[in-house]
Amino acid sequence: MPDRFDTDVTTTCGYCGVGCRLEAHARDGRIVSISPALDGPANRGHTCLKGRFAHQFTRSRERLTAPLIREGGGFRPATWEEAITRIASEFGRIKAQHGPDAIAGLASSRATNEDCYAMQRLMRAAIGTNNIDNCSRVCHSPTSFAMRRAFGLSGATGGFSDIDFADAAIVIGANATEGHPVAGARIKQAALRGMKLVTVDPRRIELADYGALHLSPRPGTNAAVMLGLANVIARDGFVDGDYLAERTEGFEAVEELIALYPPDVVEGISGIPARDLEAAAHIYAEADDASLVWGLGVTEHRYGSEVVQLICNLALMTGKVGRPGSALLPLRGQNNVQGSSDMGALPDTYTQYRSVADEEVARAFEVRWGVPLSRENGLKIPEMFDAAVGGELKAMYIFGEDVAQTDPDTKHVVHALKSLEFLVCQDIFETETTKYADVILPASSFLEKTGTFTNAERRIQLVRPAIEPPGAARTDFDIITTLSRALGHDMGFETPEDAMREIADLTPHFAGVTYERIGRRGLQWPVAQDGTDSPILYGERFHLPGGRGRFAALPYKEPGDAADEEFPLILVTGRRLQHYNAGTMTRRTANLQLLDSDWLEIHPDDARRLGVADGAPVKVRSRVGHIQIEARLTERIEPGHVFTAFHFPEIRTNLLVGASADVNTSCPEYKVIAVAVQPVADRAGVPTLTAAAG
Amino acid sequence: MTRITIDGRDLEVEPGTTVLDAVRALGGSVPTLCFDERQAPFGACRVCLVGADGAPGPIPACTTPCRDGMVIDTHDETARRVATAVVELVLSELPEPPAEHTELAAVARALDVGEPRWPGAQHDGDHDERHPYLAFQHELCISCGRCVRACEEVQGAFALTATGRGFTANVAAGLDAGFLDSACVSCGACADTCPTDAITELSLLTPVHPRPA
Repeated sequence: MPDRFDTDVTTTCGYCGVGCRLEAHARDGRIVSISPALDGPANRGHTCLKGRFAHQFTRSRERLTAPLIREGGGFRPATWEEAITRIASEFGRIKAQHGPDAIAGLASSRATNEDCYAMQRLMRAAIGTNNIDNCSRVCHSPTSFAMRRAFGLSGATGGFSDIDFADAAIVIGANATEGHPVAGARIKQAALRGMKLVTVDPRRIELADYGALHLSPRPGTNAAVMLGLANVIARDGFVDGDYLAERTEGFEAVEELIALYPPDVVEGISGIPARDLEAAAHIYAEADDASLVWGLGVTEHRYGSEVVQLICNLALMTGKVGRPGSALLPLRGQNNVQGSSDMGALPDTYTQYRSVADEEVARAFEVRWGVPLSRENGLKIPEMFDAAVGGELKAMYIFGEDVAQTDPDTKHVVHALKSLEFLVCQDIFETETTKYADVILPASSFLEKTGTFTNAERRIQLVRPAIEPPGAARTDFDIITTLSRALGHDMGFETPEDAMREIADLTPHFAGVTYERIGRRGLQWPVAQDGTDSPILYGERFHLPGGRGRFAALPYKEPGDAADEEFPLILVTGRRLQHYNAGTMTRRTANLQLLDSDWLEIHPDDARRLGVADGAPVKVRSRVGHIQIEARLTERIEPGHVFTAFHFPEIRTNLLVGASADVNTSCPEYKVIAVAVQPVADRAGVPTLTAAAG
Repeated sequence: MTRITIDGRDLEVEPGTTVLDAVRALGGSVPTLCFDERQAPFGACRVCLVGADGAPGPIPACTTPCRDGMVIDTHDETARRVATAVVELVLSELPEPPAEHTELAAVARALDVGEPRWPGAQHDGDHDERHPYLAFQHELCISCGRCVRACEEVQGAFALTATGRGFTANVAAGLDAGFLDSACVSCGACADTCPTDAITELSLLTPVHPRPA
C-alpha cells in the first residue's frame, strides 16, 4: 500500500476524560488525520468530532512559538535562556523577600501525569511551598473528596465496560452525549439494547429521549433527590441487609435522616413528581446490576461533595458496587482530571492523595528530593486569588489553564492577576490569562508530547508525540524541569519515563507501573508491584480502616444562590458537543463552522413573559456581573431556568458566576446562578467584551 | 464447547462463535467487505463465503455460528468463485478503480480480481463537500451498509439512510440534506468504516488543508 502518511502514532486523546486511544497520522510534520484505535479499551474503535477532527489548532498561526517577555505595553520575543533566567531571578527575589509561600503554581488537568508530577515537585522542592493546585479544583474535586470518604479511593469504582453489563443506570448531572460523546454513545447504545436508563438533569438532555425516565430537579436540589431515592429504597424493602452488616458502617444515622425525605417532601423541594421519584428508585433497586454515572451537574454546587456522598449511599444500601455492571462512574471533564490530582498537584497531598502533614510520606519525598518539605497545606485556587488581592501572594506560575476565562467571579480573578508582582504563564496560545503575564512560555499540545494520561476509569494510558512542537515551543516537561534546574533543584529526569519511575518508587498504588506494562491497553490503578491492575474496586473490601464503606448522613441544604424578585431565573452552565471547555483548542479548528457561538437557552413561557424573541440578543445580569448573548427558545429546559455554555471568550459567561463554592473543596457553584434576563433594545447589538465588562 | 475443523485443523470454540471468528482465532483469514468488528455481523456482501461439508452451497463466515462437528474449507472453489464474481461486479460499477489504501482495493487484491470483465453502467461523480470534515463521493458507494450501521450501532445518531434500489442504491445523510442538516454529530464513524472512500475525510482529499482564519 502506498504511504498516505509519513508516520502513524498511537496515542491518547487530549480532550475529555473518556480517554479514547487514537491513531494519529502525520505527513510533512503535520497531523492530516486521526482515527480511533480499534483496541482502545475505553473507545473500542470509536471517537468523537473533537478527538478525530479537532487537530487543526496544533498548526494554528496563533500558536506561541517563542518565549515572550512583557515590555512596555506589550510583549517581545525572547530566548529561552533569557526567559528562564528572568523567571528564576524573580522567583528567587520574591522568595528571599517574602518567603516561599508568596509564590503559587497551577498544574493542568490537560497535561500529562509526568508534567503535573514535575510541576508539584518544582513548587514543593525548588520553591519550597505547598501552594500547588490544578483545575480539577473547579470541576471534580468534590467527587474526589466524597469518594475518598465513602469508599477510600479517589476514582471510579469500575470502568466504562460496566455500562455494557448494567441492567439499569442513573445518569445525574451529566450531558454525556455532548460532554463525553464516546461514553454518551455507549450509554445510548446500552439503553437501545434495553438497559433501563434514568436521567436526572434540569434540562431534557439527549439521553433523556432514550431513557425509561427523566427527572428534572430544580438546580441545586440534587441532595434532596438522592435522599428521596434512598427513602423509597428503604421504604419498599430494597436495602441489602447482609451487605449492610458485612460491608458498611453508619447506616443507622442515614436511616433516620432519609425518613425525613418521603417522595412528596422531595417533590416540594425539587419539583420532581413523587411518583417519578418512586419509579426511579425502583428501576435502580430492582435491577440485578445498576450503575450510577455523574458529572459536573452534581459537583459544581455549594454542597456538591455532599451530594456525591449521598450518591455513594445508594450503592452501599443496595450493595451495588464492586462487580461488573454495578459501578459508580464520575465522568471527568478534562483528559487528565484524574491524573493531575493523583500526581499530588494539590495543596494538601502528595501522590496517591497522601497528606503533606503525614511525616512518613513527607520524609520519603525529602529523602528522594534531598530538600526539606513543608508540612503545611498550601492554598487552593480560590484562596490563591484571595491572597493575591490581599497582597500576601506575590507570584504565580500558571500552566495550561485559562483562569481568567474559566474560573468563577472573573472580575476578582483579573483583580488577583493584576495584583501579582510577577506572573508566568505557560500555554500553547495567548489567552485571557496571559494578558496579565510578565513572561509567557510556549508549550506543547498533547499531540506533541510523551507521557501518560489517566482517564475516568483510573486507566493510565500512554501519550506519544505525533508531531513536533512549533518553532521554539518546548514540551511542558522540558520547560518545568529546565526551570527547576535554574532554581537550583535538578530533578534528574531525562525523560517523562524517568519521572514515572520515581512516581512508581514513591507511590504504592503506582508500584508496578512501567511504560512497557502500560502498553496499548493501559493499567487501572492501584497497580501492584507485579503489574496486576484493578479494573474493579471494592469487590472484597473498601479502602478504609476496617474495610467498611461509610454512609454519610447529610441533609439537603439550599444552594448558595436562589432566585428572587430582582434575579428571578436560575442559570445553569454547561458544554456543547462541538467545543471543549474554554474553546482555546476547538475554536481554532473547523469545529467553529459547526458551532460558532454560545447562546442562552430559555423556555418559551419565560421568553414570552420577558418579551424575548428567538434569536434576539439579551442581557443576562447576575449579582456579580452581566453579559450579552443571543437567546434561543427551547422546551428542553424547564420554565424558570436558563442555560448557556462557556466556550467563547467574547461572551465570557463566567463573569456571571459568583464566589459561592463547595463547602469542602471550594469547587465553584457554576450550576446555580440567579439571573435576570432582558431583551436588548438594539437588535443590531452584537455581544462584545466591552459591553460585557462595562 | 463446540468442536469444528477449519482447513484440516481442529478447534474448540465457545458456543455462538462465528465461523469468521474461528478462522481468525486460528490465524487464518477470509476476505470480508460488509463486515466491521464494531458492528453486528450483517452478511450482505457474500464476500466471506466459505465451504462447509454437507451444506448445499457456500455459507457466509461472518454470520454463521460454529456447529459441533462442522468442517470448513476456506479455500472452497465455489465459495471463492462467487466471492470473486461479487467483488468484480462491485468494481464494474465504479468509475475508477478504488484507491489503493481502501479496504475494497485490499479485498480485490486478496481475491486477485483484476480489471472487471463487464463494462456496463458506471456511476457518475457526485460529491458533497459542504461539511467541514466529511465528504461524500457517492459514485464510490457500494451499498455495503457499513456507514449506516456505524451511525446506528456505534454512535446512535441515526443520521444516515440507505437510499435507492439496484444500480441507484446509495447512502444519504438525513433525507439527502447533507451531513450539516441531518442528525449527524460529526463523529466520523461512517468515514472510518467506509471500505471505498464513498464517505471520507475532506482533509484526505485536499493535500493542503486550509488553515483556520
